Amino acid sequence: MDKGILFSGIGHVGLILWALIGGFFIRHDEAPEIAVTEVSLLSSAEFEAIQAASPTAPAPEAPQTDIATPTPVTPAEETPAPTPQPETPPVVTQPPPPRPEPEPAPEAAPDVVETAPEPVPQAPEDPTPPAPVAVDEPPVLAPTVSSRPRPKPADRVAPQPTEAPAPDAVVAPTPAPAVTPEATPDAVVVEEEKPEAAQQEAGTELATEANKAEPLAPSASSRPKPRPARRAEAAPTDAPATPTTTPDVPRDAIAEAVAAATAGGAATEAPATAPSGPPMTAGEKDALRVAVQACWNVGSLSSEALQVTVTIAVALGQDGKPDIGSITMTEFTGGSEGAARQAFEAGRRAVILCGANGFQLPPDKYDQWRNLELVFNPERMRIK
Amino acid sequence: MTYQRPFGLLLALGLMFGGLVAAPVVAQNGPLRIEIVEGVIEPLPFAVPDFVAENGAAGEYAKNLARVIASDLSGTGLFREIPASAHVGRISSFDAPVAYGDWKAINAQALVTGAVSASGDRIVVKFRLFDIFSGQQMGEGLQFAGTTQSWRRMAHKVADAVYSRITGEGGYFDSRVVFVSETGPKNQRAKRLAVMDYDGANVQYLTDSRSIVLAPRFSPSGDRILYTSYQSGFPKIYLMDVASVQARALGDQPGTMTFAPRFAPDGRTVVFSLEQGGNSDLYTVDTNSGTLSRLTNAPSIETAPDYSPDGSRIVFESDRSGTQQIYVMSAGGGEPQRISNGPGRYSTPVWSPRGDLIAFTKQHQGRFHIGVMRVDGSEERLLTASFLDEGPTWSPNGRVIMFTRETAGAAGQSSLYSVDITGRNLRPVSSDGAASDPSWSPLLP
Repeated sequence: MDKGILFSGIGHVGLILWALIGGFFIRHDEAPEIAVTEVSLLSSAEFEAIQAASPTAPAPEAPQTDIATPTPVTPAEETPAPTPQPETPPVVTQPPPPRPEPEPAPEAAPDVVETAPEPVPQAPEDPTPPAPVAVDEPPVLAPTVSSRPRPKPADRVAPQPTEAPAPDAVVAPTPAPAVTPEATPDAVVVEEEKPEAAQQEAGTELATEANKAEPLAPSASSRPKPRPARRAEAAPTDAPATPTTTPDVPRDAIAEAVAAATAGGAATEAPATAPSGPPMTAGEKDALRVAVQACWNVGSLSSEALQVTVTIAVALGQDGKPDIGSITMTEFTGGSEGAARQAFEAGRRAVILCGANGFQLPPDKYDQWRNLELVFNPERMRIK
Repeated sequence: MTYQRPFGLLLALGLMFGGLVAAPVVAQNGPLRIEIVEGVIEPLPFAVPDFVAENGAAGEYAKNLARVIASDLSGTGLFREIPASAHVGRISSFDAPVAYGDWKAINAQALVTGAVSASGDRIVVKFRLFDIFSGQQMGEGLQFAGTTQSWRRMAHKVADAVYSRITGEGGYFDSRVVFVSETGPKNQRAKRLAVMDYDGANVQYLTDSRSIVLAPRFSPSGDRILYTSYQSGFPKIYLMDVASVQARALGDQPGTMTFAPRFAPDGRTVVFSLEQGGNSDLYTVDTNSGTLSRLTNAPSIETAPDYSPDGSRIVFESDRSGTQQIYVMSAGGGEPQRISNGPGRYSTPVWSPRGDLIAFTKQHQGRFHIGVMRVDGSEERLLTASFLDEGPTWSPNGRVIMFTRETAGAAGQSSLYSVDITGRNLRPVSSDGAASDPSWSPLLP
């Protein structure tokens, strides 16, 4: 088809459509709003009827040809003009009398007649509002476990799931038989004595907080304790002292690397009091540091207080807000107790002030930051 | 078996890497520990609403007290007043609980509330200080009683208490300054002693302008003033009792000139310079017995002595090295040790009430500076720089230095300035005209 005809057809069709339904899509500029007053139209007959029915309305007069002296319009009888009421006299507020400046003491010497400061005889009522009562979250039952079978979550993912090893078994990345040193008198290389190791427990799905089996317990209860630490003998550091080995045996280097890594893995086993969950990254710690130091105002500290490094412990809620009652000074160095108290107050103000809206912390790492120890070190802020 | 070694290597490397990654977990066994080493230095915002007038006669003082307290605290540079127009909360009763939320909303970190009652010529002022963000009162409430004429002193005392509770160091508001009031042109200037509140209020003149007076110094108790007068035609030291405004010559020796006196911390001994035969040396005199003791005996000029707060040492200036420098020696005399080692000339050393710093005047490259240094001469810091700055004096708490600044030119005149020892908050001090040679009193009792 000729393109010209095609374009012409499309254009005509579009023009026709626009003419038909274009009004629906085109927004007409709204006229500026005009104040509208409702009126009713009356015919002359209706108007005359209304005039006739009105007892007080004067009869329409013919227009006067001469210009009469304008007379004051008398108000209708039933609507007497409101007599001007005398306005309420404004309250004449007397300006405050000029503050008498204390007369200077007649004698040149300052007249010191002030009494010594006295404590307030009556202790005022404590204006401190009562501390909010900590209310535990209502116990909420955990969702029931789905009947659908789920893959076994474990800390390790492997192609083939393995059963949990015996509680007292030594766990290693790969199963290995026990190796005992050979009692060959002329042997230069002595095998490191290692106990028999079982393979680590593994599942097909990585155990995360999301897929852990929910305990049937109130959510406000204490968190489940971490797994008990592995037996001490599992750590290769407890292995018997190995004789001197030649450095040119690659097998030993591998064994050492494995042993070191295994030791590290054993070390990552948190003690019973250690927080669980992923650790805070350096960036997250820096963000918290920056947030606190933005409110750490040492401008009003004495030079002695600027010598004191204080450590402040504070507990944070899950919203990142500090529990003001938990803010305590755990230690201080570099000054007197009085100076430390001032330094502590400055640190406490910083925590309260900048934590008023909650510190920006990763919620999934709450266990890591729920308890903070903030060390306020003013070394760089001292007067130089 | 050939594949086992590479696999083992990879496994080992993987485990090593895993161990490194897991290392941070090992690091945190307790609370998350963060070290804060950077902070901010800003004035602390506070609010002082008008005090509550507990009776009609106290109404005139309720507002003035609050204004003086706010002025005292703001003048330190350490505090910033939130104006009353921004206040959300109102203090209608001294004993009413504080609505912390109202004050927190305007970011006030400290709140001073107070009340005043007046009866006859006596007033009673009481106050409380609140830490807004911790929602508690700081210290106990205090009250002061005095005459209506001393209402400013009571305001200063309240401000001192507030300052002390927040900063941890003593205040300096309830103190006075003695200085030389100057009038007239530069080449024919009349000078007389005057005393005023630290903030320039209540100026009172102690001498007339018939004779030139110099270098007034308060006694440690603030009840006496030493000064140098040319009343006899030559400079001589006089001791004035502040209450009676009566003065007497001190350490007067025929044929000598005495000047630059300072009290020892015991208030009995005065160290000064005595010029005889063109040579100036340091002497002490007992204010009661008039007994003189010579401390130095050198052909150079020794002057501007001042005691350390414990009275064990004396700092002074001497040109024994060829230029004016600062030396320290034992209060009983002995070999002095030079502590100023920078370029330029050093003079008018003054020991800090805390004992840790010495303030001085320095002239270098055509400019004058007020500076501080450690008592061993280390950590010298220059706080000011101008055409002519000289004569520092310490506030009672050792935080602020007041000094004389003179402008250049024939029409230039002297005025008093104060500066924080950090070098911040440099500001003029009102003194009812030209003024020089200030000396800060101790805190008044």
